[in-house]
Amino acid sequence: MYNFKKPLTIISLLSLSAINIATAAEIAFSIDGVKNNNGKLLVALFKGETGHQSGKPAQYNAVAAKQGKVVVSFKEIKQGEYAIQVFHDENDNGKLETNLVGMPTEGYGFSNNAQPNFGPAKYSDMKFAVSNDDAVIENSTTLIY
Amino acid sequence: MHRRQILKSLSMLGASSILLKPSLVHAFQTQKPASNIVNVKALFNQALAQKPSLIGFTNTEKNFDFKTLSIEGKLPNDLLGWFYRNGPAKHERQDIRYQHLFEGDGMIQEFAIFDGKVHHRGKFIDTPKFEKEQAAKRFLYSGPDTKLANSFPVSSADTINTANTNVIAVGGDLWALWEAGSPSQIDTENLAFKQHVSLGENSRYGKTLKGLPFSAHPKVESNGEIWNFGLDRTGSVIVYHLSATGRAKNVGIVNARYSGGILHDFLVTQKHVLLILPSLIRKSADTTDEHGYFNQITYSDAQAMRVIVVNKSDLTIKREYELASGFAFHFGNAWETTDGTIHFDASMYPNADIVQALGNVMRGHQSAAHPNAQTTLFTLYPSGKTAQTNLAINSEFPRICSHLVGKRNNMVYFLSSRDSAIWSDSVCAINTDTGKIDQYDFGESYLVEEHIPICPQFKEGTGYLIGTALHVPTGRTCLNVFSANNLAVGPIARAWLPYHLPLGFHGNFKAAT
Repeated sequence: MYNFKKPLTIISLLSLSAINIATAAEIAFSIDGVKNNNGKLLVALFKGETGHQSGKPAQYNAVAAKQGKVVVSFKEIKQGEYAIQVFHDENDNGKLETNLVGMPTEGYGFSNNAQPNFGPAKYSDMKFAVSNDDAVIENSTTLIY
Repeated sequence: MHRRQILKSLSMLGASSILLKPSLVHAFQTQKPASNIVNVKALFNQALAQKPSLIGFTNTEKNFDFKTLSIEGKLPNDLLGWFYRNGPAKHERQDIRYQHLFEGDGMIQEFAIFDGKVHHRGKFIDTPKFEKEQAAKRFLYSGPDTKLANSFPVSSADTINTANTNVIAVGGDLWALWEAGSPSQIDTENLAFKQHVSLGENSRYGKTLKGLPFSAHPKVESNGEIWNFGLDRTGSVIVYHLSATGRAKNVGIVNARYSGGILHDFLVTQKHVLLILPSLIRKSADTTDEHGYFNQITYSDAQAMRVIVVNKSDLTIKREYELASGFAFHFGNAWETTDGTIHFDASMYPNADIVQALGNVMRGHQSAAHPNAQTTLFTLYPSGKTAQTNLAINSEFPRICSHLVGKRNNMVYFLSSRDSAIWSDSVCAINTDTGKIDQYDFGESYLVEEHIPICPQFKEGTGYLIGTALHVPTGRTCLNVFSANNLAVGPIARAWLPYHLPLGFHGNFKAAT
């Protein structure tokens, strides 16, 4: 009996691969204003408002902090709407430090350099789109300490 | 490092549980610019042409360079040091005039008193807010009452900290104080802003106190240690105990359940902190109300004025008292006897009209009838009973000898005024034991500012009372020095500037060592 399964699988994989080549993009996220070389920059990529509200990132990245500017890449990104949040984990404990009433005491920032204003930055200010045609999406923030 | 913890922290950045607004800072949020912002400046200028006494509320354009003052009388030989004052001075940029006296950027006035001479300089406190707006040559951030159409976003209280209310000496620096954010550290050499003080630095609190509200009325005890509070937007009050150099020794949060929106002053005894919560209600949590934050503050006759007594030792609540309804910006002193009876004095208003009146004056409405504050003495008994006596004397800006903070005092020094005056015109001292009053009336042509007692011999009733006053007809400000034991004869020395300074709020004296 002819085994259709194997070639079909190969075809399927090839198809998927072709789709990925056409739609997978890279996000290059520039983080400016890093205060010092201490600890890490922890960066989360959220897919869509639902993903953002759930607090569950599609990807996250931890890179060594470097005074000045650091660029973080997210690869294999499918088309859709995204938002990025970052904080400077200066003491490298994996935790966003806050003061007694919950205000961050470590640097933080958002895609589109969205700014908090008497409350968290709005998703509508930090969202950006990735389309089929994009190869590399550039976005940036300046950390708020 | 735990992945779960990292993800939780990252998601916190988008959560509503952080980046909250500490109390008054909440008021700076803006959506609806008032339609008549430009007119405020025009209204004030029209009124100024008719009422020269508004001169103290005009805008200040630039710093005041060193100036040696001309002296009348003779300065005492044992009065040596620096008298610092603070107050709002930058009321206008371009066509925008702030709509409330509390909104302007702070300016430090320094009077250096040495060798029988007085030298003055005044400098805007170049906070990050002031620097940005100075460079832009326009206001960038909305105020509690002044809403800008395109206000810059505000990520923390200190973004909009105007440092405009009081100034104290801490360590080798000055701290310029606001009430909704950090102290601003000022270099005494050049009066330059150094940084916002992160109160927990060099202590076990680390960064956990960074950016917290710190009132403009700390109580500095005779050993130099500093007590203060800050009102959080949740209605809780943060209580601070700092060393003489400003290092945090103990900090706690008291669940005060206060929703009045303004809490300006407090008191300490030797054992307790007194949080005195006036009968105010903030009408609306809607910060987009174009009528402004201060107009949302209302007085309620039906609401008791509460006193929460907090143990200094562990910052826990000891007990709470309910007094008749009342409102005060300022208190003089508190002390307690061995049986635990607590005494304190306050300049009590019968309502909170003064809050709006200090906005009206920015439009040039100086004659709005509003009742004055009057000195009232309170007693809180261990049994829970209370007593209060209104001395029926108009009073504001009460001060006592600094070495008696939290201890038994007899003398309270304060300003007084004729009925319905927006500013004061006389200085007074009252002996709270005997009721004897000593008073000097400057006359209606003066706008008298806070006067503070200085006791070089650490003996109440001796020493001096010093403070500034603006002489309206000549448009000049003078520094006045009285003998503390005889105000009625008038100042024993008076030092004149050739120009006037903006009317300010509070100050303190740093003696030369």
